[in-house]
Amino acid sequence: MKRRHGRVWRAAQSYASLLGLVVLWQGLYGLGWLPEYLLGPSVIVAQFGEMVTSGELFGHLRSSLVRSYAGFLAGSLLGIGLGLLSGISRRAEDLFNPLISLTYPIPKIAILPVLIVWFGIGDASKILVILLACFYPVFINAYYGARAVDRLHVWSALNMGATPAQIFRRIVLPTALPQIFSGLRVALALSFILLFSAEMIGASSGLGFLISFAEANLRFDIMFVAIVTIAILGFANDRLLVYVRQRALTWEARRR
Amino acid sequence: MSSGPAPGKREKARAAGRVGVQGRGWSRARKATSCLAILGTWEVVAHSGWVSPLLLPSIAGVLQEAARMAGNLSLFMHVGHSVYRALVGFLLATVVGVIIGFLMGRFRAAELALERFFAVTYPVPKISIYPILVFIFGLGNVSKIALIFLECVYPMVINTYYGTRAVNPLLFWAARNMGAGPAVIFRRVVIPAAAPHIFSGIRIAMPIALVLVVITEMIGSNNGLGYLIIYSSASFRSRDMFVGILGIGVVGFIFDNLLVWARRRLIFWERETRFVA
Amino acid sequence: MALLEIRGLRKAFERGGTPIVALENLNLSVGEGEFVTIVGPSGCGKSTLLHILGGFEELSGGEVLVNGRAIGGPGRDRGMVFQEFALFPWRTALGNVLWGVELEGRPRGEALEVAERYLEMVGLLPFKDLYPHELSGGMKQRVALARVLAFDPRVLLMDEPFGSLDAQTRELMQEELNRIWEQTGKTVLFVTHDIEEAIYLGDRVLVLTARPGTIKEVVEIKLPRPRDIQVKKQEPYIAYRNAIWDLLREEVLKSRLDVPGVAAETP
Ligand SMILES: Nc1ncnc2c1ncn2[C@@H]1O[C@H](COP(=O)(O)OP(=O)(O)O)[C@@H](O)[C@H]1O
Ligand SMILES: [Mg+2]
Repeated sequence: MKRRHGRVWRAAQSYASLLGLVVLWQGLYGLGWLPEYLLGPSVIVAQFGEMVTSGELFGHLRSSLVRSYAGFLAGSLLGIGLGLLSGISRRAEDLFNPLISLTYPIPKIAILPVLIVWFGIGDASKILVILLACFYPVFINAYYGARAVDRLHVWSALNMGATPAQIFRRIVLPTALPQIFSGLRVALALSFILLFSAEMIGASSGLGFLISFAEANLRFDIMFVAIVTIAILGFANDRLLVYVRQRALTWEARRR
Repeated sequence: MSSGPAPGKREKARAAGRVGVQGRGWSRARKATSCLAILGTWEVVAHSGWVSPLLLPSIAGVLQEAARMAGNLSLFMHVGHSVYRALVGFLLATVVGVIIGFLMGRFRAAELALERFFAVTYPVPKISIYPILVFIFGLGNVSKIALIFLECVYPMVINTYYGTRAVNPLLFWAARNMGAGPAVIFRRVVIPAAAPHIFSGIRIAMPIALVLVVITEMIGSNNGLGYLIIYSSASFRSRDMFVGILGIGVVGFIFDNLLVWARRRLIFWERETRFVA
Repeated sequence: MALLEIRGLRKAFERGGTPIVALENLNLSVGEGEFVTIVGPSGCGKSTLLHILGGFEELSGGEVLVNGRAIGGPGRDRGMVFQEFALFPWRTALGNVLWGVELEGRPRGEALEVAERYLEMVGLLPFKDLYPHELSGGMKQRVALARVLAFDPRVLLMDEPFGSLDAQTRELMQEELNRIWEQTGKTVLFVTHDIEEAIYLGDRVLVLTARPGTIKEVVEIKLPRPRDIQVKKQEPYIAYRNAIWDLLREEVLKSRLDVPGVAAETP
């Protein structure tokens, strides 16, 4: 009983700083001490409600989510597949790794204009650039994850008569999974950075577009609604990934 | 956060767990083939006239253009601007991030005040507030550096925080046993002991700095490699566009290798934790 | 007056709301230059006792006096050799020994001389430029010992220092420590789970009870000094061993029955 009380109290204390920040923000806004481009939380929430009820926000949200999920999923799957393959097969390693290390240092956003020239300014170029950006961290982590497989595990599996497919599914994959998830987490963060910048650079829908539209029309209320939505999106997706990771890695000692 | 397996063990693991182990010569030949095949196909396609040079300039043409821009120094001007912005933002983030992370790791009050804040706002893409930064600081260097700082400071704070907390408490005890005070402990125990974690943070932050410098230069600038790329693409100068990409790639390559080199020099007592980005 | 006085010492840990009493009513007095070894079932509070004497952990009751004064935190008068070495991985063997000497603010040359002298004493001077990860367990242990000796504490607190060494190295280290102790005349509190080691090194062997740890019996070891390792083969030595073994056996059995208490034992 006493313990639970302690935990709640601690949680309250640790979130107090966040809450305090919002209250301070609102207070300063109420006093009129903020510059005109910094609106108060109350105004943002009101505008948020308005854009939710009018459905305007959902259209942009959907455009953004389609692009980011498509790019993230395709890039991650490709990265996991080729990364694991390179980790277990010398041939694949020789084929892919030189290419990867040659192109890895290029920030993928730099290729966006090329993709726009090739595929037009629509969704394809945005999805592709996100795909590329997500591919690299996932590939590299899957590769190292597969390489970390303990030789003794493979030997004992062979000893018990496991087939290569079984070894892959029951030894390589579980060994590499924690590492793959670290790659996915980086990829997820990158996917959102690329998404919003691609939308700010050239788009006619999506949250990034909404920001640059609002900026151009000096509609700070709309701009903040977009920012808050992006913040919620980034946070929620990260939590989702952490949750999936915990479900997938129940055997791994839970780390903070 | 375990360090990588010893090289010997890794080699053997590879021999046991892999299919298709062959002679080294073959392997080396295969390593070169994929790169050569791609570059070769590119060059052949570019020269064949099947696609417009606007879509795909020849590699020779790109290199020629790069040489020309290097000759009139404009390439170095763009590189210089980009490197300056990325480096200043990144270095500021490193210094500030290490200090905040240390305070959070060692002092309960700082942890209570800041840990949740950083944990909650970490996954938020900071690029979304770039327009606000532009309103505050204008379109020049400051808003770009501020954004790079904001995005880079997170991995530095979080990694230093965990690194500081992960310091073996016996090292603190041993140091106090020999009469060390808090300042000595920070300088001579915490910093070296947390250094591997701090470096992991740097390894994540550095590429992010490069991504953001390109993005911000694409959104609003009149110099830098991001500007070179977006401007050339808008004016259909595809050679220049590829020069820009090549330029940022080379910068990224050099930075990454500098980091690897520095880590090996500075943290020789521990193997690198496998990197994430 | 004894150099070290422990009166009615009590230590309780709070774990999940319920207190775990590690030490209870422990009384001990150790004279200057004495070598006291401590044995007891694992988890009985041996490490905890040394951590309190070192000033790293607070006591929950009673008092600990060094030279007549209550201890308040760690101090250079009591040097602790940790079971896990606690060497700084980013410093060489010499660098580690130098660490504590440097803090005195002596001139560099002088500090270096001191550090090298102690490395010499533990026989590691030829390896002074190696880093901890390049040293074997026995070598690390010697560095840890040299590091503590170098800042010249009056009391040495040693927590199963040879626990992780192989049998041969362990015997070598015992002889070495014996020699160093005879040479320097330090006061030593030495925790071990090896009865033979306890007898060979100690003037007195304290046998602790199962948790909560308190003193079950103090066995005076009246073997002649200076001792060499041959003493282990002689009749009185074997008698001591059997006696202490019986005492310990009772306590170990007791702690086995006390199942919830077996729980986690800190290294
Ligand atoms: N920091 C701690 N928190 C809670 N319990 C502890 C702590 N340190 C030690 N204990 C408990 O105190 C008892 C004595 O531990 P210790 O002194 O390490 O035993 P040992 O005699 O094996 O060295 C053990 O039961 C252990 O679980
Ligand atoms: Mg112990």
